[in-house]
Order: sequence, then structure tokens, then C-alpha cells
Amino acid sequence: MSVSIRDAGQEQLIVATGLYKSFGGEPILLDVGVEVFRGRILGIIGPGGVGKSLLMKMLAGLVEPDAGDVTVLGQSLQSLNASGLARVRDRMGFLFQNYALFDFMDVGQNIAFPLEQMGVPKAEITRRVAERLAEVELPGIERLFPNELAGGLKKRVALARATIAGAPILLYDDPTAGLDPVTSSKIFELIRRLHRPDGATVIVGHDIDRMVAVCDEWLLLHEGAVLFRGTTEEGRASSHEVLKTFFMETGMLGAAA
Amino acid sequence: MTRVVRALGTHTLGLLELLGAMALLQLRITRALFPPRYDARETWRAFYKVGVKSYPIVIMTALFTGAIMVIQSGHFVAKSGATSFVGWAAGFAVLAEIGPILIGLMFSGRVGANNTAELGTMVVTEQVDALRALAIEPIHYLAVPRFLAMIVMLFLLTALGDLFALIGGAITADLMVDIPMKVFLRQVFDAQLLDEYLLGLLKGSFFGMAIAVVSCHYGLTVRGGATGVGRAVNAAVVAAAIAIFVADFFVGVVWTVLSK
Amino acid sequence: MSSLAPTPATAEPQKRAKRPIPRQSKANRPLLYPLAAFRRGATLFLETLLWCIKPGALKRRRRQILEQLFVIGNKSVVFITVTLGVLGLISVFQVLVQVERILPDFSMIGPAFIQIMTREFAPTMAGLMIATRVGSGIAAEIGSMVVTEQVDALRMCNADPVDYLVMPRFVASVIQTTLLSIYGCVIGVASGFIAAGLFWNIPAGTFFNLQLVAYGDVVSGLMKAVAYGMAVPIVAAQAGLETSGGSEGVGTATTRAVVNASFSVVVLDFLLSGFSFLFLSKGPM
Ligand SMILES: Nc1ncnc2c1ncn2[C@@H]1O[C@H](COP(=O)(O)OP(=O)(O)OP(=O)(O)O)[C@@H](O)[C@H]1O
Ligand SMILES: [Mg+2]
Repeated sequence: MSVSIRDAGQEQLIVATGLYKSFGGEPILLDVGVEVFRGRILGIIGPGGVGKSLLMKMLAGLVEPDAGDVTVLGQSLQSLNASGLARVRDRMGFLFQNYALFDFMDVGQNIAFPLEQMGVPKAEITRRVAERLAEVELPGIERLFPNELAGGLKKRVALARATIAGAPILLYDDPTAGLDPVTSSKIFELIRRLHRPDGATVIVGHDIDRMVAVCDEWLLLHEGAVLFRGTTEEGRASSHEVLKTFFMETGMLGAAA
Repeated sequence: MTRVVRALGTHTLGLLELLGAMALLQLRITRALFPPRYDARETWRAFYKVGVKSYPIVIMTALFTGAIMVIQSGHFVAKSGATSFVGWAAGFAVLAEIGPILIGLMFSGRVGANNTAELGTMVVTEQVDALRALAIEPIHYLAVPRFLAMIVMLFLLTALGDLFALIGGAITADLMVDIPMKVFLRQVFDAQLLDEYLLGLLKGSFFGMAIAVVSCHYGLTVRGGATGVGRAVNAAVVAAAIAIFVADFFVGVVWTVLSK
Repeated sequence: MSSLAPTPATAEPQKRAKRPIPRQSKANRPLLYPLAAFRRGATLFLETLLWCIKPGALKRRRRQILEQLFVIGNKSVVFITVTLGVLGLISVFQVLVQVERILPDFSMIGPAFIQIMTREFAPTMAGLMIATRVGSGIAAEIGSMVVTEQVDALRMCNADPVDYLVMPRFVASVIQTTLLSIYGCVIGVASGFIAAGLFWNIPAGTFFNLQLVAYGDVVSGLMKAVAYGMAVPIVAAQAGLETSGGSEGVGTATTRAVVNASFSVVVLDFLLSGFSFLFLSKGPM
């Protein structure tokens, strides 16, 4: 593990090294490494299908890498047994790209589910679910079922479920895909508010314009490998072709102004 | 009371609609056969795929079926001592009834379900619409080849499977019921079960037809993405099983009445 | 140098590293595939059993178990009524046509038919129908939960998919398969009598005679029902949990569930028939 001078004394909450994954002989990720420091928000960007969602699932221990290692909160996920993994996951929230709402539960039950699993008392669950729904600006829809909701609403319900437990490590896979600009801004605002200074947040996204306002650091995946890793300024300063298409052609310049 | 009547009415209407839709599909397939208007290359491919996909499971099932029937008739023999009964009872049950049904059910699970899944996926990914846009009639291109392939292949597989069932039965008779293989096969031969064998083959052909129409119907009417395909496969295998039993009944009765 | 420093921007985009592709495990070889699948199935079975016997597990999942009991029963009753009814009718019909030529005495037809329904056809046909109806349903349901990432979401919430999805279906299936086998036996025998009474005027008193049904037959039938009730949900859930890909994946999983579940019913039937022939048929006839 390399701790840079700038980050001396900073603790890494997530470290992944040498991640390799292929499906049916077709390699998707080759030697990818990720570090997320305490208190930071990391943005992961890259072209569609490059393996961003796959990488996020590896960070949460949902997908086994063919090679490489993921360490979260000092624990190597590959070496943990089921209950050890459960303890780590208790401290993680995950927003899935395609919502992954339980279609056999209504919205209220969906959001309450992580708390129920932790054994939180019923009355408190009801209160916290209502609060969180108000926070994502969907108050009072507890009794609806996911298939009755439009995509944008589903995303917000999924966000509520991912964050209800107040976990320190939050992983968001494309939190604003397909949302209108106003809602997107609100979502990123919420993500920033929910980010804990003692925790860490990772956001996968395409909406670099708005992510700039939130993310401290970036990781650009390209052709299965990490093409760039650094701060917003460093990304902007680069003259690499691919980096340019990602950063320059968005509102980065405007953001710098 | 009105609720019950209404529910009953809705169900009956739904069932009639389903049967109507399948009859219509059957009609359109038949019309495409005379004069032949279907894709010959696609038909060959369907024959090959249907046969190759299903023969291992059919042969395995047949072996076990024969074995089970011998054990079951062995139960009677162990108590009555009438060993010559085993060949007749097991042979009769396998050839006339259980063989075709089990082979048909397995074929339905392997080929019919697969067909529904395949067609259903083509529907939800709009490939069927694409065919229409190319002025290719999906019935001619997709349904007819599979229809022909399933009838012919289930006929052949029943013919072959019956033999394997008898082999399975012979092995079991030798190992478990203390009837040497040769004696068992002699018994089956002496029981003169040719009629039953032919009845089984006739059943197999009808099962193939039923499975083909049912699986094509459910595949081509899929709605609702990945979940929809799963649900259609589920509905198709259930409907095919019912169709198999109903066909079994009618073919059995008609055959018996005619051969009396 | 800082590990966070940008990759030199002038550098070519990293070439695809020439990493050795991890060696294919033996399980991918076609001949060993069924064996590996069987091992995974056995593991899933043991895991499910462990969740069942965990103290308080059944109580904790009571709601889901009751729900699955209802779902399985509701799905299967009509189906089993139709299939076993037809089977009873046609079997007795065909057998009587045959027997008519050999013996004039029909008195043993009813008892023998009841015996073989109890021992063999009722549980096995009910098992096959449940494999078709319920097995494919379980695979379709769990399979679409896998492709829509709901299973991943369960795991993120620390709800084990085996505990949460497989165990309630397993328990409900064992209970319902047993009950439905008994029900199927009643239906099959009753419809067999319809054929016998209608076409050959065999009186009910002669037909419904339990003299041949021994203790061993009942045990054999129940053993089969329980075994099928255990095997079907496990095989189907395994197919569902191993779903990959989109809508095509769910269809494939459902297909695989039907074939594997039906085939495991046939194999179990063989094994248990053999077992009861060797060890349970010693009683009085
Ligand atoms: N379980 C799987 N089986 C087979 N292939 C998979 C699986 N999961 C991911 N892939 C493949 O890995 C590649 C990367 O997928 P991934 O969803 O991670 O991309 P992504 O970067 O998130 O794309 P997007 O920006 O569209 O969300 C895709 O080509 C996909 O087909
Ligand atoms: Mg993605």
C-alpha cells in the first residue's frame, strides 16, 4: 500500500489492488487499483461498458475478482467469512445502477429492509423511513410498489434505501442516470450532505458537470485499466486526448472559472 | 355469489381465448405447409438442434423409466411368484403409457421450454419485429420449422427411447428381480406388444405437435422483458404438460375403440 | 511520487496487459459439468438445511413460508387434478382392455391400482407436475431477481439469499408436495374408478379395496413425496441463482430448472423404488 506524502496520516478506507476480471475469456478489467481515503469523495468515470459497475460490485464484495484483492476498513474481503463480510457490509451502503428495488415489497418495506436486518425497533424504523423519504422529496409514498414508480422516483427510493442505515462508506452507481437536471442537482446535493467526514463516498457517473461540485478525486477507467487518477485540477491540467474528451468538453472549464 | 360467477366467467373466457389463439396458430402453421411455404434451411437447422439438444436427456430418462417399471412389477412378482408377468407388465406400461409420457414431459422441458425462451427473447429484443420489417413472415420462418422438427423428432425419440427403456428394464430385472436379461427380453417379445409400441409412437407424434404449438404460442406472445420471458416459459411448460395428458387420453381412447 | 499523481498524460493509453488468463478450472470441461453442478446443488441443499435447523429460523421466516405454502398449493391444485385425473382414467381404461382378453376376473384391478398409485404414480406424477409448475416458477422468480440485481441488494443488506429466498420455498415445497401427493392419489384412484365403473360396471365396493396396500407401500409413497419436495426447490433455486445475462438468461435458467428438476424426480424415483423393493416389500401382501 502506498501512502503518498500529501496523504500522510490519512487513512485509506478502501484499497483495491491488481483487480482482474474476465467473462467467458473476454477480459473486462485488467489490473485495476483503487484507493479511497477517509473523508474523501471519489468519482469514477469512463465510457459505457468499461466495467465501472463491475468494479463497484467488487468493492462491495458482491463479485469475486479473478485476481487481486479488495480491502475495506482494513479487512481483506477475500479472506473474510460470511459473518465477517456481513460486519463490513453493515458499514456500507450501495445504490445499484438499475435500482434493484425488491419488487415484492412496497416502497416503505424496501427502505426499511436494511434496518430490519439490523434489528432496529419497529417504531424507530417507521420514523426514519418517513424522514428519509421526505429528504429525497417523496414523502408519503410508502404504500406504493416499485413497479408503480417512474425511473426517477425509483432511483430516489433506491438512494433512500442505500443510505437509511447511515453507513460510513457509501457507493453510488450512476445516481442520476436518466434524471432531469433539477433533480440531478438535488441528488448530488443530498449525496454531499450524506457524506460523513469520517467515512468515504464513491460515485460512478457520466454527469461530470455536476460531479465536479462534489468529488474530490477522480478515477478514469479506459480499456480495462486506470488511465488517470488524481484531483480535479490535475485532470484539468492534463492534455491527454481521452482525458480531454472527458474533462474539457464538459463544464470543467466553467467550474474552474 | 356474483363475484364467484364473475371470476368463473373471466377464467372460462380466458381459457377459451387461449385455446382459440392456439387453434389459430395451428391453422396458420398448417396452411403454411400446403403448399409448402417455409424456410427449408431453417427447418434443417431446427431438426438438428431439436434432436441434438434432447436425445441425451431422453435416453437417460428412458433407461430409468424402464428400470422403475420393472421394479414396480417386480413388487407383484415377489409375492405371487409369477415371474413371466414382469416382462408383460413392464413392457406394456412402458410402451403404451409411461414411456411416451415421460419422454414427452422431458422433451417439453428441454425443447419446448427452450423454444419459448428463444422466441420470447426474440420478441422482447424486437427481433421478431425486425423480421416483419424485412417482409419475412415469423410463422413461416420461426414456427413452422420448429413445428415440423418437434413432431418428427419426438416420434423418433419415442421410438428410440422405448428401446432404451427396455434395455434399462432388462438390466434392472437381471440385477434386482433375479430375472436374467435374456429371459426378460424373451418375455417382452412373447407378450406381443407391437400394438402398444405403435400406440406409443402415435402418442409421441401428437405430444410433439401439442408441445410445438403451445411453446410457439407462449414464446411469440411474450410481454415485459426478462421477467416476462421467465413467466412465459413457466406458463408454456405447464400448458404443455396439460396438453400431453389430454392428448394421451384422447389418443388412448380412440385407439382402443378403433382396435376393438 | 504521489500515488495520486496523474498518469503521464503523454503516455499511450495503457496497453491491455498480457496477463495470463487464470487457468480454466476442470469444472468447465463438458464431461465434468454435470458433476460440478451436482456438487453445487448438494452444497446448496446442505446450506438450506442448516438455515432450516437454525434455532428460531422457521419462526422468523413464518410469513414467507406461509406465503409460499399458499403460492405452491394455489398453483398446483388444478394442475394436479387435471393431470392425475386423466392419468387415472386412461391407465385403468387401457389396463382393463388388456386384462379383459386374459382373465374374466376384475376383482383385483381396484386393489392393485390403488396399491401402485400409492407407491408409485401418485407421488411421482405429482412430483413431476410440481417440478414443472413450481420448479420453473422458482427459477423464473429467482432468476429475474438475479438479473435485476435484487439478489445483490439482499446481500448488501446482509440478508442471505439462501435464508431469505430458498429456505421458505424449500420448507413449503416439502409440506405441499406431500399433501399434494396424497391429494393426487385420491384424485387418481377416484378417476380410475370412474373408468372402471362406467365402462366395466365394476362396483365401488370391489374397486375401493385397500387389501393390497401394505405399510411399506405407504411409506414408500410418502418417502418419495418428501424427497421430491426437497429436490425440486433446490434444483430450481440453483438454476435461478446461477442465472447470468439478461432476458435470455432468465429463459435459459427456467428451462434448465424444468429439465433438471424433472430428471431428479425420475432418478430419485428409481433409487427409492429400488430401496423400497429391497427393504420394504417384505410385509404381507
Ligand atoms: N455477470 C456478468 N457476466 C458476463 N458479463 C458481464 C457480467 N457483468 C458484467 N459483464 C460485462 O462486463 C462489462 C462491463 O460491464 P459494466 O456494467 O461494469 O459496465 P459499466 O462501465 O458499468 O457500463 P455503464 O456505463 O453502461 O453502466 C460489460 O461488457 C458486461 O457485458
Ligand atoms: Mg454500469
